Amino acid sequence: MGVITDKLPGVLEPVPGGSVLLTAVDQLINWSRSNSLWPLTFGTSCCAIEVMMATGAARHDLARFGAEVARPSPRQADLLVIAGTIVKRMAPRLRTLYEQMAEPRYVMATGSCAICGGPFMYHSYTTVRGADEIIPVDVYVPGCPPRPEAFFYGLLTLQKMIKEGESIRHPGERRRPVLAALPEGMTLDDIRKEMQDLLSHDANVNMAAAVAEGARYSSELKDF
Amino acid sequence: MDALNLIAAVQALQPDAKVREQTDQPTLIVPAHALVALARQLRDDPTLRFDLLETHTAVDWLDEDRFELLYLLASVPLGHHLTLSVSIDRDEPVVPTLCEVYPIAQWLEREVYDMFGILYDNHPDLRRLFLEDDWVGFPLRKDYEDDFMLERPE
Amino acid sequence: MSVHVSTLQARISGESTASSPLSTEEYFVNMGPQHPSTHGVLRLVLRLDGETVREVVPVLGYIHRGIEKMGEHGNYRQFVHLVDRMDYLSALANNWAVTMVVEKAAKMETTERIQAIRTLVCELQRIQSHLLWWGVFGMDLGGFTPFFYGLREREQICDIFEKTIGARLTMNYIQPGGVMFDIHPEFVKDVKAFISYLKPKLVEYDALVTDNVIIQERIRGIGKLSAERAIALGATGPVLRASGVAHDLRKSEPYGVYSQLDFDVPVGKDGDCWDRYWVRMEEMRQSVRMIEQLIDNIPEGKTFMVKPAAKIKVPAGVHYSHLETARGILGVLLVSDGKEAPYRIHCRTPNFNNLWCIGEMATGGRMGDLVAMLSSIDIVVPDIDR
Ligand code: SF4
Repeated sequence: MGVITDKLPGVLEPVPGGSVLLTAVDQLINWSRSNSLWPLTFGTSCCAIEVMMATGAARHDLARFGAEVARPSPRQADLLVIAGTIVKRMAPRLRTLYEQMAEPRYVMATGSCAICGGPFMYHSYTTVRGADEIIPVDVYVPGCPPRPEAFFYGLLTLQKMIKEGESIRHPGERRRPVLAALPEGMTLDDIRKEMQDLLSHDANVNMAAAVAEGARYSSELKDF
Repeated sequence: MDALNLIAAVQALQPDAKVREQTDQPTLIVPAHALVALARQLRDDPTLRFDLLETHTAVDWLDEDRFELLYLLASVPLGHHLTLSVSIDRDEPVVPTLCEVYPIAQWLEREVYDMFGILYDNHPDLRRLFLEDDWVGFPLRKDYEDDFMLERPE
Repeated sequence: MSVHVSTLQARISGESTASSPLSTEEYFVNMGPQHPSTHGVLRLVLRLDGETVREVVPVLGYIHRGIEKMGEHGNYRQFVHLVDRMDYLSALANNWAVTMVVEKAAKMETTERIQAIRTLVCELQRIQSHLLWWGVFGMDLGGFTPFFYGLREREQICDIFEKTIGARLTMNYIQPGGVMFDIHPEFVKDVKAFISYLKPKLVEYDALVTDNVIIQERIRGIGKLSAERAIALGATGPVLRASGVAHDLRKSEPYGVYSQLDFDVPVGKDGDCWDRYWVRMEEMRQSVRMIEQLIDNIPEGKTFMVKPAAKIKVPAGVHYSHLETARGILGVLLVSDGKEAPYRIHCRTPNFNNLWCIGEMATGGRMGDLVAMLSSIDIVVPDIDR
C-alpha cells in the first residue's frame, strides 16, 4: 500500500487512541479491497465458460459483487481465478502471471482441475495436480465445473477472508486457505438468502464495531 | 462406390495392396515405399477422388514389434471412405511424408511424431507439436515410462 | 509524388516492395497463450510487415492433457466422461461419438427413443454452442451487447439440460447402450417454450447484428478460404460449408434420427468471415426446425438397453465412426484387442484441422482482422490439444 501505510502503524500506535484509528483504517481498507476485486481473465479450459463467461453475463451478473472489471493484463488485476486445467507447459506462464500481479493479490482455484488435477489426475503425463503446486491459493471452489453460484460462494468467502484477515500492522499476513464447498444440505434458496444478507450487511462499514475492536486491541496492548 | 468395388479399384492401381482383416471400413495394407504415389493416384483419379485426409494416426503393436500407421481418407464429393495401413519396423520408424498430397498431413504427422516418435522422410518442419522440445520419450508408445504419471489405485 | 502514392497503395493491398521508400522491417509478435481473444490458451506467433500479416504460426500444447493415453487405462464408459472435456461446448456430441463407435463395434442395440433423445439434445446443444459463439464473436469485434444477449438465451438451455441431465456443461449423458436418464417430465414443455421464445430473438439478432452495416463492412471479404484449400486443409463443419461445400454428415451419412428430419444445409459463397457468420446463424434456424419436428414425436421405449455397470467388450480390430458436432466432424478411432480397455483410442477433432486454416486466411491480411478471423473459425482449444 505504499509509504504511508507502511509508516502509519509505527507513527500511530504510540499516540493515545491511535490503535482505534488504525483498526478503523484497517477495516476501511479491507472493505474497499474486498468489494472491488478486479479479476484477471485467465481461463484455460471448460471451467472458464462457467466461471468467467456465465458469471459475467446477464443472469448471474458478477457486477453485483464489484468483481466484473475483468482485466486482460495481470498488472491491473488483483484476483487471479484459475479456471481450468494447468499442464506442465502452462505452469511457468501461470507463475509469471502471478508474479506480475501487484500486491495485494488473491488467488482462487476453481474446479477440481485447479485443486488436484481433477479428472486428469491419474495416467496423465502433463497435468499438474493442483495449481497450489505452482502458486499459493487462497480459496478453493470445488466442482467440475463449479456452478456460477458456487463461484459466487467462493467469492464471498474470499471477501470475508479479506475483511477479517489482513491488517496493515502485519502486511502480507494471510489466513489459511479455505475450501469454499457448500455445506451439506444447502439449497439454492439458502445461498441466495445468504448472499442477500451478506450484500446488505456489507453495504456499509460498521464504525461502531471498528471502534470497539480498536479499544479492545489497545487494552490488550496495555495488559501486555 | 461400395467397399468391394473400392478395394478392387485400388488394387488395380497398386497390386501389392492387401486387405486388412478385422476392420469395419475398407482397409488396405500398403508397403511404405508405395504410399505417396498411391495417395496421389487416389486423390486424382476421377472415380475415386479421395480429397480429404480425415485423420492420420499410429498404433504401437509392441508384441509384434511394429508400428501401424493408419491414414483415413474420405471423398467429400463422392462420400466414400478408405483406410490405408502401413506397417513399419519399431526400431527404424521412418515413412515418407504425405504433405505434398494432403497439406493437413504436415500437422497430423507432427502430432504422430510427437506422440510416437515416427520420423517422416522429407517433412518440411518435423518438430514436436504438443510437448516441449526437450521432452524425453514418446508418450503414446506402449513402453513409455514417466515417474510423474500416477497409477489409479484399484 | 506519384511514386509515393503507388507505394502506399501497394502497402494497403498488402504487397510492399523492397525498393519502396516506405518499406518496413518485418517483426514478430507473440499473441497468447494468455490473451483475451484467443478463446483459451492458444498461442500464435505472427510475422508482421507493418500492419500486414506475413505468416501465422500456431503454437500448441498449453492444454495438452493426454486424454488418449488416459483412455488406454480405463474402460469404455470411463472414456466417455473424458471426451466431455475436449470440446466442452459440444459435450453431448462428443459423448455420442464415443458411444457410437462402441455401439457399432460391440453390436449393441438401441431403441428409437434413445436415438430421438440423443438427436434432440445434440441439436439443443448446437444452438447453445452457436449462441455462445455469437456472443463472443460480437465481443471480439468490439461490441459487448451480443455477449449478454447470447448468454441470456444460453442460460435457458442450461436450465433445460439441468432438469434432465443434471449438469450444465460437462454432461456425461449419452452412454454406450442408451442415455443416463430418461427425459424430465417437463422437458417437452420447456423445450417448446424455449423454441417459441428463441424464434423472435433470432429475428432480433438479425436486426441487431446481422443487418448491421458496421458489422457487414467489418467482416465481409476478409479471411477468405477457397473450397479446394478448405478441403485440402481438412476443414469441416461451418468453416467448410461457408466455403461453398455442402458437406454435412447429418445429411450425407445420417445417424440418429436425422434421416427422418427435414432440414437444409446452409452453404456460403466466398468463404469469408461473413459467410461463416451467416452459416452459423442459419444453422441455428435449421436446428430450431429439427427440434420442432422432433419434439412432439419422441417415440416410446426404453432409454437404457444394458445395465450401467455391465462390462462392455469390443471385438478385436479397428473401428471408426464419426459425426457432426457444432464445429465439424468428430471421429473416434478405436483399436481394440478384445479386452475391456481400448488398446488405442484416437479422436479426430474438428478444431485441430480448422485451426490450420488461420494461416491461409490471415496471410496477406491486416493485423486488425486477425481476431475477427480467429473468432469466425470458432475454436475451442482443449479440443485441439486434447
Ligand atoms: S474441473 Fe472439470 S470443468 Fe473444470 S477445467 Fe477441469 S475438467 Fe474442465
